[in-house]
Order: sequence, then structure tokens, then C-alpha cells
Amino acid sequence: MARAATTSDVFNAIAEPQRRQILVLLRAGERPVTELAQELGMTQPGASKHLRVLREVGLVRDRRAGKQRLYDLDARGLRPVHEWAGGFERFWNESFDRLDAYVQDLKQEQQEGDR
Amino acid sequence: MTATADREIVISRLISAPPEVVFEAFTEVRHLSRWWGPEGFSTTTRAFEFRVGGEWDFVMHGPDGTDYREWISWTEIIPPERIALRHGEFRDDPNAFESVVTFAPDGEATRIEMRTVFPTVELRDEAVEKYHAIEGGQQTLDNLAAYVSGIV
Repeated sequence: MARAATTSDVFNAIAEPQRRQILVLLRAGERPVTELAQELGMTQPGASKHLRVLREVGLVRDRRAGKQRLYDLDARGLRPVHEWAGGFERFWNESFDRLDAYVQDLKQEQQEGDR
Repeated sequence: MTATADREIVISRLISAPPEVVFEAFTEVRHLSRWWGPEGFSTTTRAFEFRVGGEWDFVMHGPDGTDYREWISWTEIIPPERIALRHGEFRDDPNAFESVVTFAPDGEATRIEMRTVFPTVELRDEAVEKYHAIEGGQQTLDNLAAYVSGIV
């Protein structure tokens, strides 16, 4: 199966460590590309390229503010990731809740069987 | 660290019964159908043979009416300590993944650990580990879930 394009697949987009760092920085609020580049020790064109990918998968929004362009986190884009990862853990945590309740019955059943 | 550590999800849980009882709950359909799946899910079994190489072919019914085809084959069974299985949607599913469930006594209870290995680093990485990295260890998954659903 062909791998989904980085620019259309949020899972691929966040597989890149520097793009994850950008998202972490943007959690604190909107920032211009110059600040992001400086903080991450990248060139400005490098940071811009990552921001473009993040914007295309819907993880980052931008707006013009005077001469600057400000970038902001759009956490809605993380929903598929959350559902995928959270879904797996939730499935098993809830199953094990039910298992914990069920083994109480089973324990009793076995004790009665032993009598 | 094992060679597969970067492709794993580990879920650990204390179950309040001894290992013999908890293990038993994994060995028969009449037990499994009582607890397998989240709250509100049920299962219909087509075939079940609990032995190494045996299969459990079943359908899981979600609370919203969605059916999920499921297929499990056991690769190792050591009562009451360890069960290894392959989990997919059908026999020879190329996306099937491996889980190892261990049962360790902990006082009167059992520490269950389920270690699941995904077929590729990418599947596990892109979805889970990187997601936690985004959280920066500051917020739990639930907090971010609340945040995401709050703004949608």
C-alpha cells in the first residue's frame, strides 16, 4: 500500500520531530515564523516549509498582522490521531474494567464448585 | 529496551482475583463474551478453539450498531502466566498485530500486562509516541481530548 502524502496525512505530518516541536511552541499562543525559526535553531525558509505542511493538514492556521504573518495551533487537526491512539487504549482499559468485574463472579463460581 | 520497544503499546492493570481465575477468563467464549470490548459492546462468535494455532473468529457489535469483524489466533499459551496472540480482522490479515498478555500474582490480585507490537514503527510512532510528545508531558490525553472537543 502506498504511503499517504505528508501534505495530506496528519500522521505523516507529525512524524517529523521539528514539526512536533513547532506544535508544542504554538500551544503557548500564536507566533511569527522568525521567532519559531530562532527558537528551534532552523533557517526561516526551513521553518516556513514545515509550517506550510502543518497548515495543509489543518494543524496550523495563519493570519496577517501588519507586516507579519502569525501562526496559530489548530488542535482540531489532531482529532484523528487522538481517536486512533486514545481508541486503542480506551478499548483495553474499558475491557479490563469489565474483566475486573467479571472475575469476581468467576471467583465465586469456582469457590462454590470446590465445595 | 527490546528491539520492538518503539513499536509497542503497553497497558498494565491490577485485576482483583488470583492469576488462575483471571487466566481462566481468557480461555472460553462464555467468559470472553462477558468482558471483551468496551462498555456497551457485545460479540458473536463463529468459531473458537483455545489452543496454540487455534482461532477465534467473531464479530464485535458496537453500541451504535456498527459491526467489526475480528480474528484472533493464539501463538503461545502458558497457564496461568502468559498468552500470546495475533489480532486482525480476518485470517492472514497483513495488518494483524501481536499482543502478549502476562499474568503476575500481586498479593491476592493479578497484575495484567498487555504488550502489543504494531507491524511498523510508523504506525505506532506516528499515532502514539509522537502524540504524547505533542503533549509535552504536561497534559493528559483526556485534557487534550476535552480541549479538542471544546473547540470543534
